[in-house]
Amino acid sequence: MTIEALKQQLKEQIIEALNLQDTRPADIDDNAPLFGEGLGLDSIDSLELMVLLERNYQIKVEDPREGRKILQSVQSMAEFILAQQLA
Amino acid sequence: MKFQCYIQSSCAISPQHTFQQDIFSEALQTTDTNMLQAWQPSYAGLIPPNSLRRMSKALKMGLAAASQCLAEGGIANPGAIITGTGKGSLQDMEKFIKDIQTYHETALNPTQFIQSTFNAVNGLIALQQQNTQYNNTFVHRGLSFESALLDALLQLSAGKHHVLLGGFDEVTPDQFQIKSHSGWWKQEKIHSAALLQHLSPGTIAGEGAVFFLLANQPGDHPAASIEGMKLLHKPSSHKLDTALQQFLDEHALQPGHIDLLMSGRNGDSNYQHFYDQVAQALPGIPEVSFKPLCGEYDTAHAFGLWLAAQMIKAGKAPQQWFPAGTVFPKAYRTVLLYNQYYGEQHAFILLKKAL
Repeated sequence: MTIEALKQQLKEQIIEALNLQDTRPADIDDNAPLFGEGLGLDSIDSLELMVLLERNYQIKVEDPREGRKILQSVQSMAEFILAQQLA
Repeated sequence: MKFQCYIQSSCAISPQHTFQQDIFSEALQTTDTNMLQAWQPSYAGLIPPNSLRRMSKALKMGLAAASQCLAEGGIANPGAIITGTGKGSLQDMEKFIKDIQTYHETALNPTQFIQSTFNAVNGLIALQQQNTQYNNTFVHRGLSFESALLDALLQLSAGKHHVLLGGFDEVTPDQFQIKSHSGWWKQEKIHSAALLQHLSPGTIAGEGAVFFLLANQPGDHPAASIEGMKLLHKPSSHKLDTALQQFLDEHALQPGHIDLLMSGRNGDSNYQHFYDQVAQALPGIPEVSFKPLCGEYDTAHAFGLWLAAQMIKAGKAPQQWFPAGTVFPKAYRTVLLYNQYYGEQHAFILLKKAL
């Protein structure tokens, strides 16, 4: 899967998992921060995104500091997933 | 038990159009599916969007009804937040359990776990109101709401000026199906408005969230005053009669002093004899049932109490909600509520016009 296709898939999965009503994949900027600004997600959402990674990509993030970097944006999430799949 | 507290404000989300509506002009809502589902108002503006997107029906109903009740009562921070619920957020619990199976006890979503706990609504109310006062949730099946009411009274007696009291439960398709197998619901589909005329085993399911702001002083415009409550567990026929008589004696009431019997009659032939017995002990007293309006659920009595308080406050009944030929009282000063839950848990509540 290309990174563009993965980012599109991630956006759809985030919208579904977090029940982001009235948000479409096109509304989510690849590089916009997911937390605080941008989508305005909070700490509970970060736990849900960790679960999303585990369920859909079999990636378990153990270190919270690492999680913070991975979940910065859709771009960082996609890059991390691809790196894990290649490893 | 004898006590007095005042209903300063109240709010109900129910299968009827009770939320911010004039119930005396709203049409009766019915179903022929044996499951009366609560009418859902628009929650935008009542609940922050970031919280709303995570919430199940029970949480939305509970938080919205509580917020509205506090707003109408003019009290942002009550001295206690006390609720009763039989099942809490079933929707979250079911999803969490299904996920345990689907994902083999791994990768479980924290939201469903957090929100499936019975005290989630209380927590949300406290967070929204930034309230750090006494906070308690009672989960005692058919006496969950009544237990919460009892605690509310104790808190008011102990010096709290205002207590937010609530009862809430939701119905889900899975729960409906599971309880169908246990004979809780009627096997044949009936029209909810004809529930009382259709006497057979089982009843119809319901749901709702009702909140009251109770005060230890009458205030300016109390809807009604709660004067007493009596709870019984699996009473014999004799015990039920005796308990009712004692309850009336405690309040120096003769049956003729009661204007209306508001009962939880629900068309279930297995338990109809309890309601018949209470009605026979109060000869000539008009009786109306609230279950055709809200269905059966653990905390349905809260809806009955809310409806009775509305009638007392307005001095009239929403007559369009009751079958043709229903006898209504001339005055609404003293209402006795009686409800029982599958023959095991019984409760009397005495409600009066606040003077």
